[in-house]
Amino acid sequence: MAGKGGKQSRSSSGLSGRKGAGDQEEEEQPLQAVLVADSFNRRFFPVTKDQPRALLPLGNVAMIDYTLEFLTSTGVQETFVFCCWMASKIKEHLLKSKWCRPTSPNTVHIITSEMYRSLGDVLRDVDAKSLVRSDFVLVYGDVVSNVDISQALQEHRHRRKMDKNISVMTMICKESSPGHKSRCEEDDVIVAMDSRSQRILHYHKTQGLKRLQFPVNIFHSGSNEFEIRHDLLDCHISICSPQVAELFTDNFDYQTRNDFVRGILVNEEILGNQIHMHVTKDGYGVRVSNLLMYDSVSSDLVRRWVYPLTPEANFVDQKGRSCTYSRHNVYRGSGVSLGHGSQMEENVLIGCDTSIGANCYISNSVIGNNCTIGDNVNLDHAYIWNNVHIASNVVISQSVVCDKVEVKTGVTLNKQCVLAYNVVIGPDISLPEGTVVSMHHPDEEEDEDDDEFLSDDAEVGHSKDKTKLKAFNPAEVGAEGKGYIWKASSLDDTEDEELVRKNCESEDSEPDDPDDPVIPSPETDDVKVFQMEVLGTLQRGLEENIGFDNLVLEINSLKYAYNITMKEVIQILTSVVLEYPFQQQGPQLTPAQYVALLLPLLKKWAPVFKNYVKRVQDHLDCLSAFEEHFLEQDSHWPAMVKVLMNMYQLEILEEETILRWFSQGATTDKSRQLRKNQGVRTGHTAL
Amino acid sequence: MELQAVLMAAGGGSRMTDLTYNTPKAMLPVGNKPLMWYPLNLLERMGFEEVIVITTKEVQKMMSTDPKMKLDVKMKLDVVCIQEDGDMGTADALRHIQQKIKTDILVVSCDLITDVALHEVVDLFRAHNATLAMLMSKAHEFTETVPGQKGKKKTAEQRDFVGVDQSGKRLLFMANEADLEDGLSIRKSIMRKHPRMHIKTGLVDAHLYCLKKAVVDFLADNKQNPLKLCECFIISTPNSALPASLSLLFFPHPELLISSRDEPLLQLAQDRSCWNDHRGDMSEAYHGGKLRCYVHIMDEGPCYRVNTLAAYIEANRLAPKLFEEVPVHPSAVISERCQMGSDSYIGAMCQIADKTSIKRSTIGNSTTVKEKVKVANSIIMHGVTIEEGCNIQGSVICSNAVIGRGADLKYCLVGNGQQIEPEGKDHWHEHTP
Repeated sequence: MAGKGGKQSRSSSGLSGRKGAGDQEEEEQPLQAVLVADSFNRRFFPVTKDQPRALLPLGNVAMIDYTLEFLTSTGVQETFVFCCWMASKIKEHLLKSKWCRPTSPNTVHIITSEMYRSLGDVLRDVDAKSLVRSDFVLVYGDVVSNVDISQALQEHRHRRKMDKNISVMTMICKESSPGHKSRCEEDDVIVAMDSRSQRILHYHKTQGLKRLQFPVNIFHSGSNEFEIRHDLLDCHISICSPQVAELFTDNFDYQTRNDFVRGILVNEEILGNQIHMHVTKDGYGVRVSNLLMYDSVSSDLVRRWVYPLTPEANFVDQKGRSCTYSRHNVYRGSGVSLGHGSQMEENVLIGCDTSIGANCYISNSVIGNNCTIGDNVNLDHAYIWNNVHIASNVVISQSVVCDKVEVKTGVTLNKQCVLAYNVVIGPDISLPEGTVVSMHHPDEEEDEDDDEFLSDDAEVGHSKDKTKLKAFNPAEVGAEGKGYIWKASSLDDTEDEELVRKNCESEDSEPDDPDDPVIPSPETDDVKVFQMEVLGTLQRGLEENIGFDNLVLEINSLKYAYNITMKEVIQILTSVVLEYPFQQQGPQLTPAQYVALLLPLLKKWAPVFKNYVKRVQDHLDCLSAFEEHFLEQDSHWPAMVKVLMNMYQLEILEEETILRWFSQGATTDKSRQLRKNQGVRTGHTAL
Repeated sequence: MELQAVLMAAGGGSRMTDLTYNTPKAMLPVGNKPLMWYPLNLLERMGFEEVIVITTKEVQKMMSTDPKMKLDVKMKLDVVCIQEDGDMGTADALRHIQQKIKTDILVVSCDLITDVALHEVVDLFRAHNATLAMLMSKAHEFTETVPGQKGKKKTAEQRDFVGVDQSGKRLLFMANEADLEDGLSIRKSIMRKHPRMHIKTGLVDAHLYCLKKAVVDFLADNKQNPLKLCECFIISTPNSALPASLSLLFFPHPELLISSRDEPLLQLAQDRSCWNDHRGDMSEAYHGGKLRCYVHIMDEGPCYRVNTLAAYIEANRLAPKLFEEVPVHPSAVISERCQMGSDSYIGAMCQIADKTSIKRSTIGNSTTVKEKVKVANSIIMHGVTIEEGCNIQGSVICSNAVIGRGADLKYCLVGNGQQIEPEGKDHWHEHTP
């Protein structure tokens, strides 16, 4: 937190600067949106080992398409999609979709980074890159909604105009009574608000609580009518002022929106920011936050609650994906063949080119494209994705069957089973309630424990061959089966002492609650935090004109606090300084601008460098960080020689070590190239 | 007989001891009528023919001599005396008269002045077969200057938090700020049943309750402190005129569920009916709960609880207008050369001499006002003598006081039977025994 004070002053000065230009423009600004295409939790694990959550099909359409359609229909003209886990897949999907056609009314920018670990990181990046100019809509990539937010937007803008940017966020909530099917108990909130101004006074999750506590001081706000509401479904759509991104930067301990809301409410008196609520009575807005929600949203979709986003609308505008709609909410794609005696009872959606055998009974189910289903199959609340083969005499109830799964004859899937990608089950086996089968071995995970807190969506890749070594257990998946059982019953929700429908997975298998502030895991993160802190310290040093010895003192104390080696200190210091112009001005700087910005900084911080860079090895460390930095920024190679020269002139680096680095350091092709670069060579000869 | 009326008139007036030193609160004159006349009148207008009055011996004695009580109240008053300083609360008092209670009861406090349409409260009680229905109103800001309290800081009133459901009728939560140091705590199950709770502050409990007979029986059966016997939900009334408060039982207690005679029939009717008190889930009406409390909140119209000096002064100004009092009692003797404002009220047997001026004031029975006296914005009780040339402004003068010749009193409170020296000059002072 050492850098906190300094950062706040920075952002406030930045704000006032921005405001002057922003005020008149604000009206004409196109509406922007930030779409976070990562859940940062693992509720859909292990399905999301193969496909990011945003791309999972819901009613045969990827979830992110619903979100983008919602944004576009509310008038968003520019959307920033932030991807982390499997970013390339999402990118590929979007590039193919109608959103990236030149005619799209909503310009989609895709921003990917492996570094995002929470919503907080995304918004900090939004701030760092100065992407948003005005109020923006913040949603997740798994929100399905048809809510009209224009009124909320108007209210939000009005509030901001009336009292000078006090209201930073308007959350959209839908009225629905507790226990409603589309409410997720995990997400249940209790909100205390001012009846008249709709201002949120208190906000917290209710899961696991018996009594709800409200501090008395929230009722001192001068009003005498308050409301405590438990009938709200959080749509996870929020209208944010540009300050939201800045506030995330100022408070780098904010990870989730929940942290943010609580932080704002607790610090209301200090910071003076307020959060409001817009409650809508009609419309549909739900986040598909776990498999149970997946079930209820899918069935709502088929029952046309999300109109006009209905399956036959084919709003993604893909060729050959249209389907017909007939009585009892039965939808048939083109090329569907239905065997003799098969019945589609009600609420059934069948994708294109799927063939269904004879005497099947299908109700409340969604079946994807190119599936084959045998004879005498009974499907109820089944969600069958694409390219699935189901043999004859199969019974599936309330289960999810992912792409390319093969279900052999005589298999029964009891409630809440999940068959992840490429699994083969059967023949003649009955999976007990809540079975999860995946081609990935559950133990793979232990190898990646470090990443576990990360998201849904931890790295898998390389360990594939290892899983092959472990044999499939025929008792679990059938004689010809392929796949491993995952913690059975982790999705089980039937046990509930109150006998009230409970809409969430049991928690014991989920140590990584996304709402708990994530404690950075050892090592790797200490370095990162240290880097942040150094950056904060240098920034503050600039602003408050702190003497170099004090800076050194501070960096030293940080070094001990985070247990950083001297080598790392030098490297981090170098990279922080070299990154600094980008950090402040964004990545679009030209080399000339970059040099112009960097040289005065180097001069200023030269004493700090000299304090650390003393031995020959230190010089080499410094140079290797220098090299690393420019390897990443290959467009800025022209600037490199000037920077290097400057560092030499400031006596940060010595001639001898530069020469030594030049002659021996090259280990990879690219670094060799870097040395061959014209500028460096001339620089070298100049030395 | 559907409801029995009970008037609680034993309160001592602990928040305005200066006034009640010699006169019990129930008998304090407001617009030249004893305070308890107002709730009695309310009940009478409602059509009650009989009232059980719980009071003290002293009040009973005064009632028997008070002409107003005899003439104006036609109902049969069944006066029950309780010990004067026995620190009895409403609950204790109700226990005391349990033998007399045959049906559900309507309890009124003697300090309530209101013109509420009482049927609103009773209708809630009937419609929902409620355990309790009560009356509340918006708290008043008292604008009149209070004698003897210049510069005295008003003790910051502790606010009551009242939680009602979406309809604004069902009472879900009630607590005083003083009891909420650790924050307001609500059980989740209540929020599940009533997901939208309105919390209101700035309301006062008018101390008018409709109660099921079962509650009285329950109180009588549990002689110890009922607070400990069940998970009570307390309507706390700190500093209230009622020394201990009525404990209301929000949570089912087996003994409270003793059903009355026609209860099974009511239950059947409820089961067969498709009517429901809530929406949003499929559970039965009232979620199967047996105990329910309702509240009628008066949005407008006067509703005062005369339990402080400020409220007493305010009531004196407004009550006569409310009840269209005759300004001058026929038996009063008023000199023709007296200037009297239209908003002044003169009681029976008064003697008002020449060259006096009386504005915005109430003058009680058998009071003598001599020549050249100016009275403005004041309340003068019974049997007071005001000698020549006095100037009295913004003051309250209790019964049988004597104000010496030429005294100048501004914003003073003169206690019962006190004497003010001639030519005395006094501002912002209390003369109490």
